[in-house]
Amino acid sequence: MSLKDILSPLTVWRRTAEKPYTVIDPINDRPGAARYRGFHKNDMEACIGCGTCETICQNAAIDLVPVEGIETTNGDSGLRPQIDYGRCCWCALCVDICTTSSLTMSNEYIWVDTDPEVFRFVPGAENKPWDNSELGYSRAEGYQLLDPERVEMPELEPDTRLTSFIEMVQGYSAEQAKKEADRCVECGICMAACPAHMDIPGYIKAIRENDINGGLALMYQTNPFPASCGRICTHRCEEVCAINHTGDPIAIRWLKRYIADMADESDYQAITKTAEPERTEKVAIIGAGPGGLSAAYYLRLLGYQVTVFEAQPHGGGMLRYGIPEYRLPYDQLDKDIDLVASLGVEIKYNTRINGLKESNGPKESDGPGSDGGPAPSFEQLYQDYDAVFFSTGLPDPYTLGIQGEDHPRVISGISILEDVTAGKTPDLRKSVAVVGGGNVAMDAARTARRMGCEVTVLYRRREVDMPADEEEITEAKEEGVKFITQAIPVRIEDKPEAKGEQAAFVWGEAEMVDQGEDRRPKPVLQEDKIHTDLFDTVVPAIGQGSSLDFIPEDMAAKIGIIKYKIKVGLHGETGEPKIFAGGDISNRLKDAISAIADGHRAAKGIDRYLRENQSKKETS
Amino acid sequence: MNTSYQYSYTNIEELLEILVEKGFIAPATEQQHATVIGRRQVQSSDLAFVTVAPEAARHLILDLRDRFGFTHLVLLTAVDYIEEGKFLLTYLLHNYELHHDIGVQVPIGREAAEAGASMESIHDLWAQAGTYQRELKEMFGIDFPGSPRVDEPFILEGWDEVPPMRREFDTKQYSETTYFPRPGRSTNDPADYMRQKLYPKE
Repeated sequence: MSLKDILSPLTVWRRTAEKPYTVIDPINDRPGAARYRGFHKNDMEACIGCGTCETICQNAAIDLVPVEGIETTNGDSGLRPQIDYGRCCWCALCVDICTTSSLTMSNEYIWVDTDPEVFRFVPGAENKPWDNSELGYSRAEGYQLLDPERVEMPELEPDTRLTSFIEMVQGYSAEQAKKEADRCVECGICMAACPAHMDIPGYIKAIRENDINGGLALMYQTNPFPASCGRICTHRCEEVCAINHTGDPIAIRWLKRYIADMADESDYQAITKTAEPERTEKVAIIGAGPGGLSAAYYLRLLGYQVTVFEAQPHGGGMLRYGIPEYRLPYDQLDKDIDLVASLGVEIKYNTRINGLKESNGPKESDGPGSDGGPAPSFEQLYQDYDAVFFSTGLPDPYTLGIQGEDHPRVISGISILEDVTAGKTPDLRKSVAVVGGGNVAMDAARTARRMGCEVTVLYRRREVDMPADEEEITEAKEEGVKFITQAIPVRIEDKPEAKGEQAAFVWGEAEMVDQGEDRRPKPVLQEDKIHTDLFDTVVPAIGQGSSLDFIPEDMAAKIGIIKYKIKVGLHGETGEPKIFAGGDISNRLKDAISAIADGHRAAKGIDRYLRENQSKKETS
Repeated sequence: MNTSYQYSYTNIEELLEILVEKGFIAPATEQQHATVIGRRQVQSSDLAFVTVAPEAARHLILDLRDRFGFTHLVLLTAVDYIEEGKFLLTYLLHNYELHHDIGVQVPIGREAAEAGASMESIHDLWAQAGTYQRELKEMFGIDFPGSPRVDEPFILEGWDEVPPMRREFDTKQYSETTYFPRPGRSTNDPADYMRQKLYPKE
């Protein structure tokens, strides 16, 4: 033992009289640092249950579970993250990636319990002492693991657009598409919002992996119009996109278009091969629009013999006759239709089912069937085929219901669009008033601009109330269309000096009258604010109605057609078991993708009906 | 004013200028990637980073300690830049008189030759560096030949996997094969769940 060892205890004793070096720090008061990563908090209202936190968690500590009081709605899965603190390593990647910024961490880290089960809970769903804690970790301002900015789509400048009907949206390059696809977190929240429930994360993933054929095949599982929908879809999916909560939604529609653009014809043939055996049952489809052709496609894949009857000389319905070429070029629509036809679907053009009232469409649509024989009647189809699906859409424009509407200078919006599609030049002249606020009104106005007209759109409500797509309104403005909102048509007069060559359009300013909560305000005409303007052409475009006169009265009653409206079951069933219907005539959304979904579901309904019929025959 | 050391300086910018003169770093002004040798970055008025080659690192660190007053080794750590095939070592040094920090960053090859990643030891400059180096050996597999007890386990007992801080180490797979799953857990795919809830029959 050294001398030091003997002496050092004495120096220790000496220190007992000194002020202690250590400070007293009670065990029950040790707050974490301001940005400490402690137990999670989750804003249950802001969270949409996208599961991105679960995906990024390196330790599989997060499960998505249903929570009482949280409903599954459009844009919210109704699930919420449950965290297993036996696995959590407090890295906060879940907070950093959170698409809605709902998930954060408190700075609370002390919690003692003898029951290990309590350390697995849904933050925000069970009252925890730290739920309202101000301190803790949240994503710093400007710090983003997700890219909030959409890859810009190259478009023609407004001045160039006005000179022709060339497609204005130019499409992504491979590099742009991959960059945009990289922003997707593959949560799949969008799939419920899509009327056809397309596998959106699946085909976006295919773009990332450069698997165009795989992506195309996935799209065809639910939608045989990818080239068309990739251009004009109402993209309800993008509204609910998880990325939309803190940035621009993924350009889902443009990515769909990218796949369709990249795939060449041989790819198209390869992906639609079917192993189903041929079946002998015949199905008649009336209307070669998106609804009818979608039904035809899926029925044909199931092996049925399908014949489509179309009054117009070409297929596509409103996609062709209602949407101008600069939004959806005809060759792209033809690409979709040709694939359906190539599977052995017979499409009889220029074949208006007998009794079907003439629309304002091209006149050559009248007359005999394409095989030279007379066009069949609805009853004939009912007799000759094993099932009938009709999806004849809304061809008849609504009238304004005002005095003087029969003026020769009044031409409906839809007939202008139909004329242009048929290669005719509508007689618009110089100054044009378009009445309405929907997509047909915008398309008619923009078409008129391309024909050199000065165009004013008059709409009875405010701009925010317009049913047209936002981009159509923006693009119409860019192209020099003038807008007058809160303008109610009063009557159309003929100025004697104009001799029927100009229409005097009388309209009044409207006041928006509040209708109480949850109801949109109503425009009310102000009698003292009436204007009269002279126009060369007045174009009503306030919506269209169905044309179902081809169905005999007794049959209409059986099907369940009441006042031009028809109610159908989930799979297009009508009151008559053999007859199915879908598309704009029956659904609420009245867009292409809803009609496509209707056609697909009706194909399943028809398949089930025919199989049940077959088994009945076999047992009897 | 720092007078007790051979090189006196008053602010970080000035320090970096001297380091440029001595040829440790490039006079580049534009910000570059952290693993690029010669790169300099002033983070704030009391914190800067410089990136130097492995051969120059010990010389610079010694100079900073003995001639510039950076007497304290705050920490020694590494980041795995697996895409570049590099580890980036960071020696954080502190000057007690001026309260300045300088981070000396050193990119080394991830898999240099067969021996794996390796770096010259500084345990003789600061005894505690030996502990950091032992930790880096265990967590990243970076060797510091000659460093005391560098091959002994640090906190992982009986570890026979890839060093766990290397990015090729699959944490999830490891935990799945090593630990039993806790009972009672189940999860749902948002898209599938929404299908069941919103459109089960379509």
